[in-house]
Amino acid sequence: MAELKYLYGIIPTDELNQTPLPSFKGLDEQHEWYPIAFDGIQAIVCDLEESDYNESALEEKTSDVEWVHEKAFHHHEAVMRLHESYTVIPMKFATIYTSKTNLEETLTNHYQEMDGLLSWLKGKEEWNLKIYCDNDSLRKRTAAHNLTIEEKKKELEHMSPGRQYLEKRKLDRLIDQELEKDKEQQSSSIHDQLVTYSVKTDIKKNWNKDVTGRTDEMCWNSVYLLENQEAEEFLGKVKQLQKEWKEAGFTLELTGPWPAYHFSKLK
Amino acid sequence: MAIEQSTQSSNLVDVLETVLDKGVVIAGDIRVGIADVELLSIKIRLIVASVDKAKEIGMDWWETDPYLNSKAANKEDQKLKEENDELQKRIEELEKKAGQDNRLV
Repeated sequence: MAELKYLYGIIPTDELNQTPLPSFKGLDEQHEWYPIAFDGIQAIVCDLEESDYNESALEEKTSDVEWVHEKAFHHHEAVMRLHESYTVIPMKFATIYTSKTNLEETLTNHYQEMDGLLSWLKGKEEWNLKIYCDNDSLRKRTAAHNLTIEEKKKELEHMSPGRQYLEKRKLDRLIDQELEKDKEQQSSSIHDQLVTYSVKTDIKKNWNKDVTGRTDEMCWNSVYLLENQEAEEFLGKVKQLQKEWKEAGFTLELTGPWPAYHFSKLK
Repeated sequence: MAIEQSTQSSNLVDVLETVLDKGVVIAGDIRVGIADVELLSIKIRLIVASVDKAKEIGMDWWETDPYLNSKAANKEDQKLKEENDELQKRIEELEKKAGQDNRLV
């Protein structure tokens, strides 16, 4: 029967020679993963039955949210396993080839780049920082301490009641704008202090509360690529910043070490 | 200090935004369409929340309700089929018996 190749990631051959691939069940929970050697690199794949995972079968599966949930986490776990023992170029979820030949063709096309990327990624790890803030208490602070707003408030005192009403509404909008500015500024000052520890960083999109399922608001989302030996100092710095910013209403959440998902771009 | 790496649902967004959005994008040769991170997270959160909520208040009847759960529906179908087969068999036996009785008369 025809078998598809599900690709998890690429690792260097010399590292695989030193540490044999641990046992791990593939996406279908039946086929074990295994390496396909290609010069100095190894593609870590698992086989999938064509009849169960062809394009139309996958279309049906991926429309099932629970299936995607489970399998996306399977993919994550698999790549984490690789990351524990090897330098790894992580693939995006559901990178599937119809044959070994097709996979090898892709490897041929990208071999130089992948080989170079693996040498660069060696000994590095990725960390993700998300900053959440308590909007209400921050808003109060902005309203109380912001100079632009203070001036406006003074102007308001000398106005007629009707005019005051209109100006107060304008002032509310101004507070909102200033709040956004404050959050951005303060978050990016936290970020700047972490950049010094990293080889490379990237700023990501903030997710809204529906997506995070939290009651506080995400106001910063960034990733850092570190040399392994920098990690300890970096974590120490984050810990210090966590304490420093707690009272101001900022919660810093750090996760990692992740495989270098955000820093594994091919041209 | 929230420095951790786990596959718990608390990290749902962390994992989805990483494995669906990032990673090396070399195209596989099977086209796979997956909803975006935003939509998926919201849907998964809703499912998890409603399951938990329902169980909390003892409302888990829908797990066995064939209209709401396809696995339950399959089970139900299977049961009906077995019942049907059983009845079919009995009818055949009765008919056979009736035929024999008729001949005797």
